[in-house]
Amino acid sequence: MMIEALIAVALVGALVTFVAPNRIAGKLAFAISLVPAALSLWLFAAFDGSGNALLDGELAFESQTAWLEIGDHSVSWFVGLDGISLPLVVLTTILCTLAIVSSWTPIDERESQFYGLILFIEASLIGVFSALDFFLWFVFWEAVLIPMYLLIGIWGGPRRKYAAIKFFVYTNVASLVMFGSFIALVFGLGDSVTSFALPEIATAMRNGGLDGLFGLGGPALASVVFVGMFLGFAVKVPIVPFHTWLPDAHVEAPTPASVLLAGVLLKMGTYALLRFNFTMFPDQVETYAIPIAAIAVISVIYGAMLALAQTDLKRIVAYSSVSSMGYVILGLVAYTTFGVGGATFQMVSHGLISGLMFMAVGVIYNATHTRMVTDMSGMADRMPIAVGILIAGAFGYMGLPLMSGFYGEFTIFFGTFGSELLEYSPLFTSLAMFGIVIVAGYLLFALQRTVFGPYRLETDYEVGRAPVHDIASMGVLLGLIILLGVAPDLIFDMITDAIEPIIGGGL
Amino acid sequence: MAATATGPFGFAPAIAVFPLVAFVITLVFGRHLPKKGALPGILATAGSLVVSVVMFAAVAGGGEHHTTLYEWTSGAATSETMVEGIEFTFGILIDPLSALMLVIVSLVALLVHVFSLGYMNAEGETGLRRYYAELGLFTFSMLAFVFADNLLMAFMFFELVGLCSYLLIGFWFRTESAPSAAKKAFLVTRFGDYFFLIGVVAIAATFGTVGFAGEESFVTAAETAIDDGTTLFGFDAETWVTITGLLVLGGVLGKSAQFPFHTWLPDAMEGPTTVSALIHAATMVAAGVYLVARMFGYYALSPTALAIIAFVGGFTALFAATMAVVKDDIKQVLAYSTISQYGYMMLGLGVGGYVAGVFHLMNHAFFKALLFLGAGAVIILMHHEQDMWEMGGLKDKAPVTYYTFLAGALALAGIVPFSGFWSKDEVLFDALAVGLEQPVILAAYAMGLLAVFFTGFYTFRMVFLTFHGEPRSAAAEDPHSVGWAVKVPLLALGTLATVAGFANLAPVAELLHADITFLEFWLDGKYGAVEGLTYHAYHETVAFEEGVIGSETTTMLLSAGLSLGLALAGAFTAHTLYNVPEPSRHTTKLGGAYRVLKSNYYQDEYQVWLAEGLTLPLARAADRFDQTVIDGVVNGTSTISLFGSDRVKRIQTGIVTNYAALLVGGFIGLLLVLGYLGGWFA
Repeated sequence: MMIEALIAVALVGALVTFVAPNRIAGKLAFAISLVPAALSLWLFAAFDGSGNALLDGELAFESQTAWLEIGDHSVSWFVGLDGISLPLVVLTTILCTLAIVSSWTPIDERESQFYGLILFIEASLIGVFSALDFFLWFVFWEAVLIPMYLLIGIWGGPRRKYAAIKFFVYTNVASLVMFGSFIALVFGLGDSVTSFALPEIATAMRNGGLDGLFGLGGPALASVVFVGMFLGFAVKVPIVPFHTWLPDAHVEAPTPASVLLAGVLLKMGTYALLRFNFTMFPDQVETYAIPIAAIAVISVIYGAMLALAQTDLKRIVAYSSVSSMGYVILGLVAYTTFGVGGATFQMVSHGLISGLMFMAVGVIYNATHTRMVTDMSGMADRMPIAVGILIAGAFGYMGLPLMSGFYGEFTIFFGTFGSELLEYSPLFTSLAMFGIVIVAGYLLFALQRTVFGPYRLETDYEVGRAPVHDIASMGVLLGLIILLGVAPDLIFDMITDAIEPIIGGGL
Repeated sequence: MAATATGPFGFAPAIAVFPLVAFVITLVFGRHLPKKGALPGILATAGSLVVSVVMFAAVAGGGEHHTTLYEWTSGAATSETMVEGIEFTFGILIDPLSALMLVIVSLVALLVHVFSLGYMNAEGETGLRRYYAELGLFTFSMLAFVFADNLLMAFMFFELVGLCSYLLIGFWFRTESAPSAAKKAFLVTRFGDYFFLIGVVAIAATFGTVGFAGEESFVTAAETAIDDGTTLFGFDAETWVTITGLLVLGGVLGKSAQFPFHTWLPDAMEGPTTVSALIHAATMVAAGVYLVARMFGYYALSPTALAIIAFVGGFTALFAATMAVVKDDIKQVLAYSTISQYGYMMLGLGVGGYVAGVFHLMNHAFFKALLFLGAGAVIILMHHEQDMWEMGGLKDKAPVTYYTFLAGALALAGIVPFSGFWSKDEVLFDALAVGLEQPVILAAYAMGLLAVFFTGFYTFRMVFLTFHGEPRSAAAEDPHSVGWAVKVPLLALGTLATVAGFANLAPVAELLHADITFLEFWLDGKYGAVEGLTYHAYHETVAFEEGVIGSETTTMLLSAGLSLGLALAGAFTAHTLYNVPEPSRHTTKLGGAYRVLKSNYYQDEYQVWLAEGLTLPLARAADRFDQTVIDGVVNGTSTISLFGSDRVKRIQTGIVTNYAALLVGGFIGLLLVLGYLGGWFA
């Protein structure tokens, strides 16, 4: 019942915060969020699962209760964690706590509603990563969208309405495509499955239980469903060309929403790709390996080029997420232990690093009220510690060794280079790796213009140092980034343990 | 291997740990420490030096040390050579090469820390804590790079020294130029490291190991693959070794500032002169060349890769030397001379002259650190003036600076018996010997030989303009004084620059038939070595024929005579032109060539164009495409459903309570529907 407790604390906390006075909402939400954070760390320490949750693995903290019947299929409350989902749950709880802290300075209206929504997102996200029944999972999946829509639409920047609706409609349409595809799959499986439990469906798929539907044969149906679900998740990741909602959402979203959006919400897309497409359809992965690798490479290079053209710090970090998530897709399609494992690691790592970058940009914005590269220079003069952390985060983004980003990228590159499933894998790897040059280009260029050089900022007030609570929360992230860079096996071991059943014992 | 793991070698990790501790202490407490953190740095580097010397002595006593400290990660992977599984570790490899390099790096680091007391602390500089912390982080990374026992670990610390270089070049971040130079340095080397990383990944994916030494090393695996005629990634094994070797070489060319990646180094002179001495002359720039020496067994397998190394080296030696001739800033002269000298090391290694290359690496570390620190002393004397045309006549006013600088200059120019002569001569001799059989190498040799003349010329032009003649400015009339912290490192390095060459008097040994080529014995494992990592082992692998003119002795003497003659000719030309009371510029005699040289062969222009004229417009075009076409389709789709959204808009009241009600209501509604379907209410 540990996972239920985790979700319940966040959900009840959300309700309590909703009705609490604005004055204390921030501190209250922080105190409440410490409970799931501590609990999830305890789960991490007490984790005793092994194998893959969908493929006969030993689940940790498993709990299953029959819920209802739809036709011949039963739906149940079914949650549990394996080595893939646990790190993401920990990432979620930690980032939510830090996002709450980073809201203290910028959020000064309707605080109780704001913090309530953050806790509501937290509950939903934990649900997404731990649910093992398709219906339950889908409820959580959709439940994430609403509070994020509100966070952008209410507390966002000048074009918040446009950005929020674009985010909501775009990802919702994608969800619909994905949902339809999945239901077609369940019907196609016919009598092979009797429930919406993902392990049952995954096992049936891998045992070749797909019959066909609407006149389509099994393999054809599998291809249609694979593509449909891939497109559905591609929007969430986002993969080029479905990425245009992301920069708009980021630019308009308040800092804490950006932290969660880049840090965790994007990972829903890659997590779902891994859980559904790459676990249930090994044959289709092989068939579509080259086009998927191609769009992964395009996402990396094109996303980085877009980042290079931006002058808004937040847009730079937003586009660089497109680039970084391209690496994840490349690692997944490599279908090797290091490729898929590195991709999963990169999800966590990118969550930490992009969270840190958005926080640092937010801290500078709080002080300067501008995010335009051209509006300021020499910020290191006024905010030395915050800028120091920003520089460290930027180098983390560039993949500096002994920080988590390097490990994620290196293992992806290594795992992809020798991939047997993906043809021309050395070529794809080498092309994608050029991203590490472009990322250095746009981040160093931005640093040169904003934090270095003679101090220049047109304000009618004196810019002072960053608040201690912001420094502290950025420091926690930086510490985690370095910890995972030095000791990646803290999570990589459990990740590979859960990956190997997917790719068949490990290539 | 295991037998020697105890004893003195147990302390090996301390070499890197000391500076790391100094970094942390300085970062956290630096503000409250006396001298703002200089003392932890000095103590740490002194500690590293002591342990390094102990390691050196232990190797001299026949020991070697190869151990794994920490498993970074491991996992299942199938490599091309059918090795199952791979481990990525941090380990220590102490053999003659790394022991020598550890002593060099920790010694120069210690001297630069001491010198900083006189150079940085004395000037009322702010940000000293940052300076010493970054210097500590650099020393840690560099030392860990040197004793790395595998290619991935080497790459990781290679990147970290790049970070420190970036931070220290940009130390004076309030200026416009320093951050720009720092960015350029990191970007250009990153471009090289891109190829390096592909090389690391390729080697790991090919051989299932990244170790430098032993049976489990990728070098041994590559040898086996070539012997067995294995096909690797669709290529025959030797071609694949060449490809991967050249990929790794990308990182080498970047860090060691070889053509065409040399452009960042002159700009890097924006950093404090102490940083130039430590990082951009003696140690970090050496990392590239050191890496080639470290994995020399791998390059030895590929004559093509070696020939390319030699040619690039010879070309860079000449190319950079010609640019140094027209520079007015004393640090710029030294920067181009650094590029040129690393070219010699590459030339030496490329022709299979492992000893010669390492010998020059050692000598250069001493005399170039000396020259940079000397230039730092001159800059103190000159009240922060760096233009040599504003100097003159400092000879009598600052004798310690002058004589030590002169020792460094003689070593750089390659005048007998100063250290640079012996090692440069050995490089050129090895190149000549191979060149007599290989036309490409002969061309590389010719360029290296011609560069000797330019080296002699620009070195003494610098000495004469700076120290001789009449003072040409008020600052030169009345120079500032320098303290002991400046003089002690200069004297120490001056002594080394003078005598270090005696470590390997190859021509003398040849003439007298005496066993005095100590460095060769050292690197050949005569005292202690890891099996396979010896000069002899490499020499047997390298497939180059060697020729002689007459006998080996006459060839050696001929080569030495030629290079010494050219060096003296260069120095003499500088003497006639500039060693006069009132020297004047002679640049008009160069005509159009002057403009080309002064513009550095337009190398910067085309690289800046690549970044700002090509990549940036391309990025902007991509951005426009993204905004109009891709996002246009998205927004266009939504316009079609505008009618629907117009209705939906009405629920956007902006009142959160309404939203919350909708949220909760929707959730409950969903539950009810599901519940109904599930038959709860039946």
